[in-house]
Amino acid sequence: MWLHVRLSEVCLFLQAMFILACCFSDMESGPIATSGSVQPNGDRFKIEGRAIVPGVKTQDWISSARVTVEGEEYIGFLRTDGSFVVNDVPSGSYVVEVISPGYKFEAVRVDITSKGKMRARLVNFIKTSEVIRQPYPLQLRSSGPHTYFMKRETWGWTDFLMNPMVMMMVLPLLIIVLLPKVVNTNDPEMRKEMEQSMNMLNPNPELPDVSEFMTKLFSGSKSSSSKAIGGSKCQNITCTSGLRNYCNWSCHGNYNAIFKKSFFIRLYNCFLSRVFFPLSNNPRVCTTLVLCQF
Amino acid sequence: MSKPTSLFVIFFSLFVMSEAVFEDQVGKFDWRQQYVGKTLFAHFDSHSQSSKKLFLATDKNIFASFNSRTGELFWRHVDKAGPEGTIDILLLHGQGDNSGRLLRSWDTNMGGLNWEAVLDTGSFQAACFVAMQDTVKHVAVLKKAAISLHYLTNGHQKWVENLPDSDTVQYQAVYSGGEEEVYVLGVVPNSHLTIIAYSLEDGEIIKQVTWSRTLCVVVGHGVLMCVDTATLALYVDTLVCNRLYIPVLVSSQPHPARSPISEFFLQLGPDHHVLLQLNADGYTIAPLRDFQPSDVFPPQLYVHAFLKKDDSVGYRVLVQTQDHALTFIQQPGRVVWTREEALADVVTMEMVDLPLTGTQAELEGEFGKKADGLFPMVLKRLSSQVILLQAWLAHLWKLFYEARKPHGQVKNEVTIETLSRDEFNLQKMMVMVTASGKLFGIDSKSGSILWKHYLENVQPNAVFKLIVQRTTAHFPHPPQCTLLIKDKDTGLASLHVFNPIFGRKSHIAPPALPRPILQSLLLPVIDQDYAKVLLLVDDQYKVTAFPSTKNVLQQLQEMASSIFFYLIRSDQGNLSGFRLRKDLSTERIWEVVLPTEVQKIVAVNGKRPNEHVHSQGRVMGDRSVLYKYLNPNLLAVVTESTDAHPERAFVGVFLVDGVTGRIIHEAVQRKARGPVHFVHSENWVVYEYWNTKSRRNEFSVLELFEGTELYNSTVFSSLDRPHLPQVLQQTYIFPSPITTMEATLTEKGITSRHLLVGLPSGAILSLPKMFLDPRRPEVVTEHSREENLIPYAPEMPIRTEWFINYNQTVARVKGIYTAPSGLESTCLVVAYGLDIYQTRVYPSKQFDVLKDDYDYVLISSVLFALFFATMISKRLAQVKLLNRAWR
Repeated sequence: MWLHVRLSEVCLFLQAMFILACCFSDMESGPIATSGSVQPNGDRFKIEGRAIVPGVKTQDWISSARVTVEGEEYIGFLRTDGSFVVNDVPSGSYVVEVISPGYKFEAVRVDITSKGKMRARLVNFIKTSEVIRQPYPLQLRSSGPHTYFMKRETWGWTDFLMNPMVMMMVLPLLIIVLLPKVVNTNDPEMRKEMEQSMNMLNPNPELPDVSEFMTKLFSGSKSSSSKAIGGSKCQNITCTSGLRNYCNWSCHGNYNAIFKKSFFIRLYNCFLSRVFFPLSNNPRVCTTLVLCQF
Repeated sequence: MSKPTSLFVIFFSLFVMSEAVFEDQVGKFDWRQQYVGKTLFAHFDSHSQSSKKLFLATDKNIFASFNSRTGELFWRHVDKAGPEGTIDILLLHGQGDNSGRLLRSWDTNMGGLNWEAVLDTGSFQAACFVAMQDTVKHVAVLKKAAISLHYLTNGHQKWVENLPDSDTVQYQAVYSGGEEEVYVLGVVPNSHLTIIAYSLEDGEIIKQVTWSRTLCVVVGHGVLMCVDTATLALYVDTLVCNRLYIPVLVSSQPHPARSPISEFFLQLGPDHHVLLQLNADGYTIAPLRDFQPSDVFPPQLYVHAFLKKDDSVGYRVLVQTQDHALTFIQQPGRVVWTREEALADVVTMEMVDLPLTGTQAELEGEFGKKADGLFPMVLKRLSSQVILLQAWLAHLWKLFYEARKPHGQVKNEVTIETLSRDEFNLQKMMVMVTASGKLFGIDSKSGSILWKHYLENVQPNAVFKLIVQRTTAHFPHPPQCTLLIKDKDTGLASLHVFNPIFGRKSHIAPPALPRPILQSLLLPVIDQDYAKVLLLVDDQYKVTAFPSTKNVLQQLQEMASSIFFYLIRSDQGNLSGFRLRKDLSTERIWEVVLPTEVQKIVAVNGKRPNEHVHSQGRVMGDRSVLYKYLNPNLLAVVTESTDAHPERAFVGVFLVDGVTGRIIHEAVQRKARGPVHFVHSENWVVYEYWNTKSRRNEFSVLELFEGTELYNSTVFSSLDRPHLPQVLQQTYIFPSPITTMEATLTEKGITSRHLLVGLPSGAILSLPKMFLDPRRPEVVTEHSREENLIPYAPEMPIRTEWFINYNQTVARVKGIYTAPSGLESTCLVVAYGLDIYQTRVYPSKQFDVLKDDYDYVLISSVLFALFFATMISKRLAQVKLLNRAWR
């Protein structure tokens, strides 16, 4: 990714260099030397160009648009086909802009030498002598309508659900609940396979496992709810604090179900830790904390 | 390097201010009115009967198309201001417009340009369409020394010919009657006429005829009239030399391919017209009707007569009156619409609070008066409460009554009678003064014109100053505005005193001002009728007070030693300060001379008197306070160098104390030239100039601080400030030229300030003052972050979200007026130029009032949901407890 950006930057730079070189070779008398001063009796020139708004008919926008040269010093109007000519401009350097209340156009700097040679370049107010060539006669393409308005801050369910924090919490939960129902875990071969893959995914067996805790948590909650109905026994919860504190729940329940769940929880735990927290030092701790909060 | 900073700025600005218009707020608080100016040429689109187009060219160099049914604009083209953009003639045949050195043809449907042709230099004389066999194919343009023919389709020149003897002959008219010839009429004063016929094909002179005076006849009133059968042209000259008015002929040629109508008008005097008819023999003229001065002729009249379906003649008339009102009249004398084109040239304006209603005034009166015993106070309170209740009931009844009516009939017409202040004082009366001398009172909420008053005998070059002497706060005294009208050439001034709410002239007689007025100042002193005192200084430095009652004069004598004022003589480069003496004469106490050979004073600006500054200082990152230098007498003087060479040109900004004449600070911007736009407010001056070296516009900000300790925190005195303030300055690049600049203003000055910048594109940019802070650091530190300082970036951003007028552009913005409202968060803004745009801005968002999009449904539903949830859970808890108790 980084490399890619770098490369493109380098490419751009090279391109710029190339253009610069071109300019140096064909530049005879710098229009900068005339420095915008207007000789009263000097020759008058015309600036030509064409403005295009893609996808919009010219008659919809030209009546409210006009071409300004250096503020309102010289003004041109747009023809019915979008082309324009600004007449009677003495030699110098000017910023040419197409002004339309509906569409935005990039401004272009046009240099006219005392002999009437024209060139167009990008406007750069910081490095005023930098030359990045633009086509002349000017080809001004609108980059779309102006954005004048702010979006209203609305409160919607989609905004709430699309919040990354909420997504991070809700998606795994959905998977935990739904996936065990899709995959059949009663098949012993399958179970074996799963166990293997689980061991592979979990390289550090001596660390207390979050998934176990999660299984316990869920089965515990299930059993606690079943307690209200069936009256099966479930023991207390002991919680310790610290950086790697896990709530140790011990509970007896349907072991098959626990296993089934534990597998998927482990799987998604790992998925979480690898995908969502690739940068944190201890992915496990991180996920655990998040889930604990949850 | 710059990229991360700019990114940071954008990121920062997103968080700090998201001040912009929401799309559903369009037209809710704002309105725009578009104008074109005084009509010079008008044409009806007569191609089809049903066409409702009307084309106008105006003195503001605008070519526009109107809907003749409603008076609304279809489209408008704004050319360069000033003499270079002047429209000389407007011809209409499907399309066509002719402007000065450029000949332009327009598409009247779309409003787009067909072509533009550059004409040779030379003063323009006349132009006409040239037709052949009933089709118009060419345009002939007559210049002082040449005639040229252009194709109508593409503007290319067909031929150009020099006119013979152009140095002696004045060529005045060009004419074509549908044949293959173009006639040019020239006059040698006091000698003869020359008529030249050119061939349409190649511009060859076919014949050249010289008419001596033998054909001319003297018509009454000493007017010489010559007629020529070949061209149907008529030449008029006065025999009586001392007559000032030059007679003008008005004729009408309905179609370029046919001859003009033989009836024509001869205007003999400013208000004396004669309708004449050329007889069939082509030699004699018979007067048909003489319009004597009693027949009122407006300055301009455009008549469009047409045949109706039943072959009777119908007409439409466009009337341009002296006060620049444009009225469209249809057949039975019915006025279809009227446009107040005087508003295209607003010179100055003020916003005046609306009066309180009777009940509101009653309540106010209760608090204003002195207590007269317990019992009467209670009675008064009870009675006012009853009045309030009555008003509320009446309001409810009105609501109910209106709800029963069908929707379309309910109309909230604003009239002067129903005007009253709203609870947040957001609706005000805009008093606008136009260059034509017409005053308008406009309701700021709807933009409807509530009153207008035309001041006659106002010179075209008069300068106006509008002063609010008494606001509406002093019931039962009516509010009072005074307009100072000053002739620019002679300096003689007159006062017009009026009521800004109703527009009526006040009965108070203004003082006679026999001498030219140099300066006017409004004192905070009030007379017994609560009117502020206006002092007028004449050219002998004598002071006239208005109102000048005994009470006022006595107060003035007491205060004389503390009343100072300044005068500017920009032609002498002289800035001087004066003090009032007890006998209302003045003494000069200081003088600053800026030599005119080097620089000239462009503008001098003090602070606005109604401006409040809430915080005395700024809390810095290390918890110390940097106190602002708040000198109410500070003047900002802007000078420009007389040398216009880009290397040596400069712009100077001087901060001068208006009482002592002490120069507080001096900033010189080298390699810079004007036009300089600047705002002086609080403890800062922001100015904008053109950098001749880098060819860009730059903003510079000066901020004045006293330091970390205040010298005298209770009162500011210019005479007792030994330390000069610390001045900080920073400069930024602004990527667009600007036309005008103003700062927002709020009631108490708590809200942060924004700069309102008018751009040539017609947009009004609301630029946070935060971006123009000389303490913006180049390197971000802990302290600067704590102070919320944006890191320095050389280029100022222009974001279209900050345009307060979104796509409602205001062409040629001349001024922006800001006024505080009753809400601290809200500032009322009026931008005027060719158009008028009114809106509200919230520089720190709406912190003191619920937003208009406040979600009442959500908050109430949440409340109800919580309420029911508690009820249910309470019930559940009860059941559970009961169950446990049973176990």
